[in-house]
This record gives sequence, C-alpha cells and structure tokens, in this order.
Amino acid sequence: MIARLYRPLLMSLLSSALIACINPGPTTAEEDATVPIGIDLGGSGPVIAAAAPEGHAPPSQHRSDMQMAHEGHDDAHGTVTVNSVDPAQHKLNLSHNPIPEIGWPAMTMDFAVKPSVDLKPIKPGSRVNFTIEKGQGGMYEIQTITPAGGSR
Amino acid sequence: MSARPVFPFPDLTRRRFIRGAAAVGALGFAPWPLRTALAAPATVLSGTEFALTIEDVSLTINGRQATATGVNGQVPAPILRWREGDTLTLAVTNRLREPSSIHWHGVRTPSPMDGVPGLSFRGIAPGETYVYRFPVRQSGTYWYHSHSMFQEQTGLYGAIVIEPKGGYAQGFDRDYVVLLSDWSFEPPERIVSNLKFQSNYYNYGQRTLGTFLDDAQRNGLADTVADRLEWGKMRMSPTDILDVSGATYAYLINGQAPAANWTALFRPGERVRLRFINGSSMSIFDVRIDGLPMTVVQADGNDVVPVTVDEFRISVAETYDVIVRPTADRAYTIFAQAEDRTGYARGTLAPRPGMAAAIPPMDPRPMRTMADMGMGSMGSMSGMTMDQGSMPGMDHSSMPGMDHGAMAGMSNMEASPEAKKLQGQVAVDNVAMMPSGRLQSAGEGFPPGRRVLSYADLRAIKPGSDSRPPSHEISLHLTGNMERFIWGFDGKKFSEAGPIEITRGDRVRFVLINDTMMEHPIHLHGLWSELENGHGEFRPYKHTINVKPGERLSYLVTADVPGRWAFHCHLLYHMETGMFREVHVA
Amino acid sequence: MSAARIVSLSLTLAAFATAAAAQTPTTNAPTSGPEPLAMPPPVMDQTIFAHVLFNEFEGRWNGSNSEFRWEGQGWVGTDYDKLWIKSEGTLQGNGVLEDGQDQFLYSRAITTYFDLQGGLRSDLDSRPTRNWAAFGIQGLAPYFFDLEVTGFVSGEGHLAAKLEASYDLLLTQRLILQPQVELNVYSKGDPARLVGAGFSDIDTGLRLRYEFDRKFAPYIGLVYEGKFGQTANFARRAGESTGDVRFVFGVRTWF
Repeated sequence: MIARLYRPLLMSLLSSALIACINPGPTTAEEDATVPIGIDLGGSGPVIAAAAPEGHAPPSQHRSDMQMAHEGHDDAHGTVTVNSVDPAQHKLNLSHNPIPEIGWPAMTMDFAVKPSVDLKPIKPGSRVNFTIEKGQGGMYEIQTITPAGGSR
Repeated sequence: MSARPVFPFPDLTRRRFIRGAAAVGALGFAPWPLRTALAAPATVLSGTEFALTIEDVSLTINGRQATATGVNGQVPAPILRWREGDTLTLAVTNRLREPSSIHWHGVRTPSPMDGVPGLSFRGIAPGETYVYRFPVRQSGTYWYHSHSMFQEQTGLYGAIVIEPKGGYAQGFDRDYVVLLSDWSFEPPERIVSNLKFQSNYYNYGQRTLGTFLDDAQRNGLADTVADRLEWGKMRMSPTDILDVSGATYAYLINGQAPAANWTALFRPGERVRLRFINGSSMSIFDVRIDGLPMTVVQADGNDVVPVTVDEFRISVAETYDVIVRPTADRAYTIFAQAEDRTGYARGTLAPRPGMAAAIPPMDPRPMRTMADMGMGSMGSMSGMTMDQGSMPGMDHSSMPGMDHGAMAGMSNMEASPEAKKLQGQVAVDNVAMMPSGRLQSAGEGFPPGRRVLSYADLRAIKPGSDSRPPSHEISLHLTGNMERFIWGFDGKKFSEAGPIEITRGDRVRFVLINDTMMEHPIHLHGLWSELENGHGEFRPYKHTINVKPGERLSYLVTADVPGRWAFHCHLLYHMETGMFREVHVA
Repeated sequence: MSAARIVSLSLTLAAFATAAAAQTPTTNAPTSGPEPLAMPPPVMDQTIFAHVLFNEFEGRWNGSNSEFRWEGQGWVGTDYDKLWIKSEGTLQGNGVLEDGQDQFLYSRAITTYFDLQGGLRSDLDSRPTRNWAAFGIQGLAPYFFDLEVTGFVSGEGHLAAKLEASYDLLLTQRLILQPQVELNVYSKGDPARLVGAGFSDIDTGLRLRYEFDRKFAPYIGLVYEGKFGQTANFARRAGESTGDVRFVFGVRTWF
C-alpha cells in the first residue's frame, strides 16, 4: 500500500521542489542586489522667513502650543549672510532668505545702509539680522543690522 | 556500497530512488516560499484615520530568520505621517498572544492616549482593538513603540513625521527617516536573565592580562597597578559602556543590517533632510557621515538654531533632524557606531542605487574615567549647571586625559546627606561624590579634531512659552547595582517607591544626579523637559535627556496636562528592572 | 550507596533541574504600590529568576587513580530573596562518594555585594549522614574575589566552618585562569566520616578555562587535596592519602 502511494508522493515532492526553486527566497533576492531604497518624504516646499535667534516675532503661520506668541512687528526683517562690505558707498551685498512681508524671494543683492549704522563690525561671511524700510528714493534701506547670535 | 540498505518500497529501482532523493535534496536546499520573509518595503501611512495591527512577523537579518513583533506586517512599523493641527483616530488591534500597547514617544496627548499599560490604560489585550483619539499640537520627528514587556526589543517601533502647519524654517529637497535600532536573536527575557547572573555577560572588551601589560608599558607599572587597585576596590570596571553589545546585537538602519546597504537617493547639490531616530532598546549611537558635515536643525522634534557638526551622539529614544548638502556625484556612508564600538549600523547616501562608499573603521573604544564615577571633572563647574550663561559650544571634544587624583578642588570629597544614605544599599553600587555639570562635553570616545554636538549647543529658535521660574525642585539620584543588575531612582525600584506628585499648572525643576557610571536617557511622558543648558529662555525643549555618568543636570517642566505620566530610563532592561517612576499631575 | 542516599541525591539533583527549568522569568509577584492597581504594573521589576552554576564538574587523576568531583549552586528568587542550593561531592574510583555536602538555604541580599544566607546543611555521601544548621555570607569581595564564609552547628552542638574563595584572572577575553580554595574546620572530630577536629581539609586548585560560550567553558587544571592534623591521622589509618595533587579536566557551565 505504501509502495502505491510512493509514486504520487514523489511526484508531488518533485513539483513542490520545482515551485520552491522558482520563487526565490531572501538570499536569492539579496544576490540580485536589490538594495533597500529609502522612502523620500519629499521636499520642504516654500519655507517661512528665516527665524531670528534673538526672539524676533515669528511669522503668524508658524505656531505650536509650546511657542510663545509675540506681538508682530511691521518691519520686514530677515537673517542673511554678508558677502561683501563697501564702506565707501556705505553698502552691503547680502544673500537673504525669502521675506514674505514684502513679497521678496531669496536673493543676493546690494543694499544701501542707513548712514547712522556703523559698518565696521560687519565682516564678510558673517550671519546678521537686519531690518529694512523703504527710504526716500523708494529703495529699501537697511535700518538696523546686528550679528546673528550663536555663531559656531 | 557494501551493505544493501533495506527499502520499505520493494518495487523501487535504485535509479528511481536516486531521482527521488535528488528531488527531496533539492527541496531541502530550495527556500520554502511560505516561510520566506521578503524584505518588505517600508510604508508611509498618512491622513487622520489609521488602522494598525500588531502581529508576529517573520524577519530576516543577515540571512537568519526570526519571529519579530511588527505592525501591519512589517518591522520597523510603518512611518506615520501626520499634520500639525489635525485630530487623529488610530485603531490599534493586537493579534499577539500577549497584551500589547503603543506609546507615541514625544507626542503630547491626553493621559489616556499615552499608551502606558498600568498608568494610561489597561493595555490592549490579545484580540482587542483600542482606539486612540487625540489632537496633534506640535510638529517634528517623533516615534512610536510598544510599552509592554520587551516588545520594543522584538521590533515594535516606527517613525512619526508631523508636518508643521506653517512650513519649514530651513528648506530641503529630500526627506528621509533614519530609524536606528538593535536586534538580537536571543529572546529578551533571556538577555535579562543572563545579565542578572553575570552583568558583564555581553562585554568582550574587558581588562585582561594583555591590557594590563599594554598599560604598564605605556604608563609605567606603578601607575597601572594603582589604577587596577583603585577600580578593583570599587568592584567596578571602566570597560562597562553598554550592557548589551554587538556580541548579540545586529545594529539596524530602518530595519536593515549593514550588509543590506539601505540607500537614500539624492541629486548632487540637493539639500537632504535626515530624521535620525534612536529606536533601539539598549544602544547609544555615534553618528557621522564622512565627507559631509551635518547641520542639526531639530532635536527631539523641536527647532534649534542650526549648528553644523561632524558627529553627534544620539541616545536611546532621542531624535535629531539634520540637513546635509552632498554636492559630489558619489556615495556617502551614514555611519552609526555603537558607543562601545562593538558594531555599527550603516546606510548609504547615493545618487544612484547600488552604490556604496567606504565604511570607516570604528573609533577606539572609550573607557570610563573617575569623572564618570562622580569624582568631579576638571575645569567645569561642579554642582549646579543652572542658566549661568556659560559659553556654549566652546569645547566639542571630550575632556582629555582625566587622570584620577590629579585634580584641584578634590579635597572636599564629602557626599551630600542624601547621597550618604544611599551608600551601601543593595540597589546602589556607587554614589557620585562630586557630580558635575558636563553639558559642554559631548562625552567620551571621540577622537580629537571632530566637531561633536553637545547639549550646550542646543539653543531653541524661539523662547520658551512659560517664563515663570520654578516653584520647587524635585531631585532624583539615578542609581543602580551593576553586579546584581538592579536599577532605580534613589536606590529604589518602581515597585518600592510611590509616585512623584505635582500640582497641575506648577512649574518645577527636576534635578538629576547620575550616581552610576553609565549613561541613562531619562524620558518624561506627556510634558516637555526644558533642559537648562545655559541659553536662558532659549533652553531646548526635549522629551528624552541623556544624563552622563557622574553628571548633574536640571530641567524645567510645566505640568500643564493632568494624568499619570511615566518617568523612566529608556534603556529597556533598566526600565524593566526598576528604573521607572510615576509622575502624577493632579 | 543505600536507597536513602540515592533518594536524597536525586532530590538534590531534581531541585537543580527544577531551578534550571524555571530559568526564564515567571510572572510577577504582586507589587505593593501605594494604591491597589486594578491594572498590571507598567514594569515587572519583581520578576523571579532562576540559575544553576557548576563551578566544578571534573575528572581528577593523580596518576594512579581517578575520581569525579562536582561543586555547584542553584538559586531561584527575586533581587532580594532567594532559595539557594549548594552541592558538592567527590565520587572515587571505587564507587565511594566522599565529601558530600548539600546546603539548602534562604538567601537575603543585605549589602551591595553580599547576601546573608541561612538554612540546612546535609552531609550526604557514602559515610554516615550528618545534618547541620548553616549560617553565612556570600558575595563579591573587594578586588573581585568571590567569597563564601559559612558557619555550621550540628544537633549535638558541634561547630564547623567553611571558607571558599576564588578569583577570575582574564588572560584574554575568553581564556580565564581561576585560582580557587576551599577550607573546612571542625570543632570536634567525627571518625565515622574521617573528619578530625581543627582545620580538617583543603581543596585548592588552579583552573584554566576557555569560554566558547559564557555558559559552557571546558577547563584543565591542577588541584591539591590536603588533609591536616587529626583528619590526616584518620586518613592514614584508613589507608587513604593525606595530600594529593591531581590533574583535572572538566566543564564550567551555567544556565
């Protein structure tokens, strides 16, 4: 009786073996060098104006229950990197982040600086905070400029 | 063949048998499809309604298969993508044979939604479904894991990414979760049992005759003998870095062992955000990417003033979000070595799949010093480290060459009264005589010349929301007996102590003194821990604070949400052997 | 061996086996929290653990005859309270079981490194059985010496004491040299057991083990079995040696 069962048993074992060979297991998959690829959650999208470390007013959208709500200032402000200083013309060339208050994207440009502002402590390559206001000629002029805190 | 084997099948010819044997043999070699654990791709679940099923899943690490505890069929659990401001519903079904739970680490929820069995709720019984419902009022990178027995060790951990309502402060083009964890094929109950019998069971870096001779050659025989006698008298070993090591652990990055080469793709010039989460049970990692400085922008889900470093130490349960900007068309290795240098997790940042960069050799193994024993530390302020405007970020490297006995100001080695009471107790093997503030130090084990992040570097972008000074202090000693493998607070295990009571609305200061010579990442559920690290009102908001050996630090807490909150060391086997307390806000 | 001795020996070994079988932590003892929790506690820090250790499990040769010696311990309990079993004995080539001692103790952790132990000691071997009350300490002494000091009182008021000490010297991470000593002293001689008054015997050795696994470490070594004073006299009269150096080969194992 066992002998009669043997042939179908052998056939089923053979076919199972074949099927098992066709579906590769993890070792075969690894040999195919399918490297696990990380899931990209995507870019950040438009960013808010750069945060000022000295406690300047955060823009109204960025709020969470543990952040302090400041009274908003009306000046536009930002945090930038100084590229070059022109003491003769009392100008600075700056790279700044987008300033939504006045609808400006991130830019690198020259800025006239209010005459009363001392440019001597401002070094190229440093990060600074500044506020700007539209001056007489309709051009924006830097009103105040201070080094950004926590330099590393 | 001399002897003829007896076949039970008399009509079988020899040729048929060999064919059959070959088939059976092939079957043995061929992988059995039903038991195959395919490397399941991680999934991301978003929206406001979630259905999570906790179940046994098959996990393969380095070709060896085991049964792990997964969610929705995968380890690590799916990435949950939430939005700040949404109200979420998460139905969690337990298909295990034992109770389970899910705790949303760092996410502030009402107390019944916090997921700690015995404090928040009864746990999720086998077959049961528990529906979590809570509003999300924060953003950043967090994670979730089981808070039942050792399920966190067997795979129940996953990432949470909460999109900020108003957008990001720093731009980036790609965004990857980097969840670091540790995996052992030994059942976690056996790991604890081994440690209870022999606490240095997993330490294969102990001092030997060989190291004695090396030290004697380097430092002279007399000094070496004196050093051995000093540690011997205390019955402690400076080689105790991590309790469970690479002797049993494989270190994983997003559930993949180093050989699997988990890869994050980028285009040269893009800014890549890497959300590092330490979801391990017992392993502290030192993370760096050779060739790429990392700009840390968030710690524990909260924005910090960006600080660029070469390396950072991430303790269990902490998170750090960094932005890197690879400009070259080449691969970079994301290298996370265990603090005791017994293994590493490794991934690749590459422009195309299949690339890999060189894996650096592991750094030399750190050793504990007398400062770790609480004998004070050279040059830093001993005692309080309150908001004293100390210069942050001055010294990124660890304090070099801390020789015992050679320090000024060591004359007064009188321990505080409460410390004296702890000495000699069964659950206490050491009391820090002069615990010191060491937030400026990144820790031991970093070669000089690397910029390593320290807690003093973390400065919040916005000032804290509660400017009140604390009304009172809660002081706790982190204690333990390494030899017996008992851990606790103030010499007591959880079952031997009562809850810490705080009145709702209070502002308190927690002072932690680490009397042990190991790091402990201390996690308070439900409330923010504002670490006093010298930045005044810009102190960072954290949920998990790594207290170094022999260190004394403090943080402020506003008890604004009532409930029974867990407070514990996040080293899983320390927590389960007693290093746990209830903080009751009423 | 008589039936009674076989039974007692089997009970001892059975106790070991039970302890070993219960090695995975069992359910928590109820905790004494400040309020009666209807729910299970968030952490189970009162788990009961059980372990068994065979420090000596070896064959001993002195060139002319061989013996087999075991010395092991097992315990079950929580961090503070344990039930402890200690057993040792030497089976000689001629089938005589010598130096059999079994202790059944309650062990309480009292300081960081030491436990206080008390209970019963039964001398079970081929010679007449003796029972003692036992009281002592066990733990890790400064400079990493393992130490056991136990005092005994017999029913007749006789006193005895035993000192055991050992040290693990790591030559490499897995090759460990262990000097070990066991010393017995009795207040009154017991001729039936070939034990004399005063310092009776010493069993000391140097064993070199290789830890293939923490739980399985074969070793080789040299031991010296010595007898003093009255004990030596008894031994000489019985035709036994008073000082023997033997080569040992065995396995140190625990689970």
